[in-house]
Amino acid sequence: MHEQTARKEDPVGVNVHTDGGVAMALLLEAGAVLSSSLDPSTTMGQVAELTVPRLADLCVIDLLDRDGSIRDVAVAASRPGLAESLETLRFEHPLDPASEHPVAQVIRSGEPMLLEQMSNALLTSFAQGSKHARFMIAHGYRSAIVAPLVARGRTLGALSALRLGESPPYESSDLGLACELAHRAALAIDNARLYSDLKRVQLAESFMSEASRVLASSLDYGETLQRVARLAVPIVASWCAVDVLNENGDIERVAIHHPDPEMVALAERLNRDYSLSRDDPTGAPEVIRTGEARIYTDIPPDALADYARDNEHLRLLAAIGATAVIIVPMIGADRITGAITLISSGQGRRLSAEDLPLAERLARRAGTAVENARLYTERSRIAHTLQQALLPASLPALPGAQVRARYRAAGELNEVGGDFYDVFEAGGEAWMLVIGDVCGKGPRAAGATALARHTLRAAALSGQSPTRMLNMLHRALQTQPADADLCTVCLVRFQRSEETAHLRVALAGHPPPLLIDKDGESRQLGKPGTLLGVLDPIEVHEVSEEIGPGQTLLLYTDGVPEARHGDELLGEDGLRRLCHPAPKLSLDGLLDHIERGALAHAGGSLRDDLALLALRLDKTTE
Amino acid sequence: MTPLPFEGVGAEEHLRIEVRTTPDRVVLELHGELDLLGAPLLQKQIDETDVDARGILVLDLQGLQFIDSAGLRVILAAHESARQRGQEFALTRGGNQVQRLLSVAGVDERLRIIASPDDVLV
Repeated sequence: MHEQTARKEDPVGVNVHTDGGVAMALLLEAGAVLSSSLDPSTTMGQVAELTVPRLADLCVIDLLDRDGSIRDVAVAASRPGLAESLETLRFEHPLDPASEHPVAQVIRSGEPMLLEQMSNALLTSFAQGSKHARFMIAHGYRSAIVAPLVARGRTLGALSALRLGESPPYESSDLGLACELAHRAALAIDNARLYSDLKRVQLAESFMSEASRVLASSLDYGETLQRVARLAVPIVASWCAVDVLNENGDIERVAIHHPDPEMVALAERLNRDYSLSRDDPTGAPEVIRTGEARIYTDIPPDALADYARDNEHLRLLAAIGATAVIIVPMIGADRITGAITLISSGQGRRLSAEDLPLAERLARRAGTAVENARLYTERSRIAHTLQQALLPASLPALPGAQVRARYRAAGELNEVGGDFYDVFEAGGEAWMLVIGDVCGKGPRAAGATALARHTLRAAALSGQSPTRMLNMLHRALQTQPADADLCTVCLVRFQRSEETAHLRVALAGHPPPLLIDKDGESRQLGKPGTLLGVLDPIEVHEVSEEIGPGQTLLLYTDGVPEARHGDELLGEDGLRRLCHPAPKLSLDGLLDHIERGALAHAGGSLRDDLALLALRLDKTTE
Repeated sequence: MTPLPFEGVGAEEHLRIEVRTTPDRVVLELHGELDLLGAPLLQKQIDETDVDARGILVLDLQGLQFIDSAGLRVILAAHESARQRGQEFALTRGGNQVQRLLSVAGVDERLRIIASPDDVLV
């Protein structure tokens, strides 16, 4: 960019004789400005300011958008208020790229234009409507130079320098300086665009990989959206708000983020006093209704005033200071779940149409995450409730003995497990300890689990023996509509005697309970019997045992010996090893030890549910 | 979102089933693990195979390393439907864990167990 002297193809060289000092100063200042920033809109504003009043009374820089429209990115004027009026006018009457307006002509041809004297008739001939014509005549448009912004052989836009009223008209000798300035501005814009394209790609990649990681790591619906909002600020936008459709179909703001807490407070006030309604014609409600993204890259003061409901609303909106807004729909599995609003403000990176794909990717990812989180929350709530209903809320106090239980559902599969346990009075000063496993998970297993518990309780109340109880459950399972519901059960009838207690053990396809001795060694009780619900008839055996002071009875489900990491099962031997410290541990301590041991053996993630039920006689007997 | 218990391993790799038909029997050879994840695969295979094309259905468990109650349920269901069709049903012994589970479940003495899938049923 060392092109201080006129280039060969320039139609006219810089006129150093007439305006040498001004031209040189202007080009030097422009050089400084253009190399100082990579944000094109800021830069163009500064270039326009530089030309006024030395080169022009009014300077407009127009850029050709990627969609082919012409947009004024910078306006500077010597007369107060003129720049603002012109911006409003241009917003209402955008330049038609196919029209005879000098800016449109120059952008099409890539050649500069000098309009030494503009008559009212000429102004009217290219005006974009009568209001535009009256505007130009009223402000005394007199003389103009329109120079193309050309970089790498492409015309990016045009710089228009105008002299108004009684100012001296432009001469051909002024053309060189304007063209040079335009050329430098074009290079700066081109560089900035290349840079921002590169940054955008890099940003999009790193942002999306981070977004995916964050979104995948949380299954909490509210937290997920808070994270989305925090993630987007300030990398992508100055503000990020997330609105969702709640169960009632109303729009609910679930997250808003800005680096400044005071600004967040302001936005929260805005949301509280002027909350979105699902029928609002524009903004997030419109996007949620239509599923179409909206982008506003130009927000003139008038548009804000039209949108505001009252003066206070306008004040708050103005304080947000939006320079551009992108609103994208969040789409879940089969429906629109909400919208993400990105806002750039102040001096922050300005959002443009090129950010839309990134915003849409983010919204899609967030939409899926929200849907998953919602399903997960709902499922775990139901599963938790159901599981609680299937297990006793508390265990009864047994005469002269303590009983403790543990239950742990498998890993991340937040479904209702099929393991169950129960302790209840069986009449005749006898108590029944039950542990069992219904095959499978989910609602069907939950139904069979409830059936098992209630059938066994009912059978015990009518004074049935363990064998009869198991047969009753077997019949009940067989009458279930679902084929081949199988269930394994270990029943222990407990009856206190003088110093010891009498146990009667019956197994139906269930692992045998352990009796842990005072020295920590253990042995299996009972004799294998047929599992329930499938093979007919079942064959079960009752085996009598005694338990004395210092001994521990342990009932468990398959999840314990089958805790595994890779191919290595904890196994019966592993479980017995975990029982070794029993004599030194309280009953709770022992169950904690076994649970932790099984979990550790499984590498922290159990594949099957795990249930434990333990009994120990009180040290002092009455 | 819910991770499978076995990351990166598909159910197909987890349980492999080979179907073989001889003049007198259909043999399903099971390799790997027959659990919550593998059980539906075996059920699907049984549904899709013409298992009653011969008088005997054999589940060959010699290559089976692990079984849980979900797997056992599919085997017992196959046993029951074979019985209803009047077809003979037999198993070969699986790995240690498989044998233990069948024994604990009290089904090993109720099912016909043969040493090799092509043994004559007595």
